[in-house]
Amino acid sequence: MNIFMVLLRKEIKELLTRQLLFSIAAMILVFYVIGKSVGSHSRASGASNSIVVMDLDRSELSARLLAAMGGGKTPLKPSAFTDIESAMSAPEHSGESSFLVIPAGLARSVEEGRPSRLEFYSRFRKRASGLGAAMAASRIRKVSSLAAAEASSYALERKAPGLPPSFLRDPAPAVEFVVVDGRTEQVPLAQVVGFMQSQSYFFPIAVFFIVILSAQMIMTAIATEKENKTLETLLSSPLDRRMLVVSKLTAAAIIAAGLSGAYLLGMRSFMSGITAAAEGATAAAAGPALAKLGLVITTQGYLLIGLSVLVCILCSLSLAFILGMLAEDVKSIQAMLVPLMMPLMLSYLMPIFIDLSTAGWGIKGLLYAIPFTHAFLAPRAVMTGDIASVVWGIIYQAAVFAVFVTLAARLFSGDALLTLRLRLPGTRRKAAAQ
Amino acid sequence: MDALNIRGLVKKYGDFEAVAGLDFSVREGEIFALVGPNGVGKSTTLKMISTILTPTAGSISVFGLDTVAAAHAVRSVISYLPEEAGAYKNLTGREYLDFMAMVFLRDKSRAAEAVAYGAGLSGLGARLDDKIKTYSKGMARKLLLARAVMIKPRLAILDEPTSGLDIVNGYEIRKTIKDLAAGGMTFLISSHNMAEIEFLSGRIGVINKGRLLACDTPAALKSQFGTEDLEEVFVRLTQ
Repeated sequence: MNIFMVLLRKEIKELLTRQLLFSIAAMILVFYVIGKSVGSHSRASGASNSIVVMDLDRSELSARLLAAMGGGKTPLKPSAFTDIESAMSAPEHSGESSFLVIPAGLARSVEEGRPSRLEFYSRFRKRASGLGAAMAASRIRKVSSLAAAEASSYALERKAPGLPPSFLRDPAPAVEFVVVDGRTEQVPLAQVVGFMQSQSYFFPIAVFFIVILSAQMIMTAIATEKENKTLETLLSSPLDRRMLVVSKLTAAAIIAAGLSGAYLLGMRSFMSGITAAAEGATAAAAGPALAKLGLVITTQGYLLIGLSVLVCILCSLSLAFILGMLAEDVKSIQAMLVPLMMPLMLSYLMPIFIDLSTAGWGIKGLLYAIPFTHAFLAPRAVMTGDIASVVWGIIYQAAVFAVFVTLAARLFSGDALLTLRLRLPGTRRKAAAQ
Repeated sequence: MDALNIRGLVKKYGDFEAVAGLDFSVREGEIFALVGPNGVGKSTTLKMISTILTPTAGSISVFGLDTVAAAHAVRSVISYLPEEAGAYKNLTGREYLDFMAMVFLRDKSRAAEAVAYGAGLSGLGARLDDKIKTYSKGMARKLLLARAVMIKPRLAILDEPTSGLDIVNGYEIRKTIKDLAAGGMTFLISSHNMAEIEFLSGRIGVINKGRLLACDTPAALKSQFGTEDLEEVFVRLTQ
């Protein structure tokens, strides 16, 4: 058997422990459960959190308002109470959080051109967590807008008979067009932005997890070999030391690739649960327009993104390899991750808040110098057809990887592997050699 | 030809001189013991002979091969067992021997032969098919010693081979070393156990603060210091 395969098989056996498999399975399960729970909780709370309506006007207008509001997805519960305090304290409404009072004389006020109002009351629970309050606010905004439109139609029918209220209300409606690389489609910008964001926040989170996990894995593997002195045995063998470096990196990359698949699966469940509850419908509605604008990822695009992620993982592995060699022992791995975590956090978080296309050269230089940034930006670049920047990113990452691997191989071939220690604050001091 | 020849060996870590000019040689087929208090440069010396560390000055030759200029060739004739070394805990004992045999010999049939020999030497029997993480310290050490000698190196370098072992395990390991030396294998051993040293070694090198203080047979050293106790020789030399 090829000696490289012998080394690789041993590395994989050492890395792929039952504990690791269990933690990955647990992580996928957690993502899945959160995603499903958020989705079902949101649907359940949407159904139960209806609006209690006290119609004190009982007019044609109030009937039309109720019909308009009920036409949405929010269930309305009529109540016989005549004052809000009694309704809110009534046991049958104790689980309700949203109340609407249609005041007596509303229709007459509208007909006579006198201002009136619809009163929405929300019971806010200080200790409540989750999305319940935000969803209630969104429900009231939607329902009040439907009611306002219907009240407006009612007033216009009486004051300007013969003209359709929709025309009078908005005689010159605004239509939004989005232009991408000369291609124009009628679609609201908010929908395009929503879709792009939903695509580009899911992906970096997964990559972030994979990079950290695989880096931690290889650092622990090297520090354990140093601590157990199995490394000293290997170093005294007639093996080419570069082969030791490459076999360790390859094993970690193979495991990381397997883990990426598992994470993506878990994250997909998680995100589909969240987006179904929040903005999935909006994004889906914009789908055909987005496809016409070229803002979708093709199979070749996915392959390019995959390649970018692969070299990103290889970069992090090679850097982690060097950090692992400099670690005093397995306990100091957490602290040794800091030099990797810092650029990783920067490259992950900054593009979320900063538009890199208009950012200053300092920020641009800093972020593009970090190899991980290119993988985080790859999906958006592929979606917008900026293939050149993805390819250059891959080339840059591959160059950084080559530099790190060369450095790792050099360190592996000299005394530094056993004598050099990088001491970060909080790490234990230990004699360099006996 | 000497199995090992060390001349003016120096190793510095920054300003600290771990080995400060060592000179000694080991004859082929001999068991040579390097003894000295903790932290006087024994392990550093063994690591330099094993080509893991490079000397700051001086030279080491193993069967005529320089450990710096011909490091790769040296690695083909030696086997090094570090002090308190561990093994890959997720492998079984047999998988560990298989792996190490391939790493050192690079030939499937020679490796299989070495593993069969090592399996017998380890005395672990059916436990060889259990994961190493289930082994006691004594079992693990016997496996590691089997690993170190199964490839039949010309020079076996053992750092504290019986450290922390009970009487039975220690005895078995010492017996194995003695038998192998009788078969022609050369051993360089570091140990704190003077009884073990006396039982095993043909000659002893006593070092302190990176320098060689004495080098002779146990009998000659005892006679030189007028005592029957090798430990007393050690104490008088190092204090």
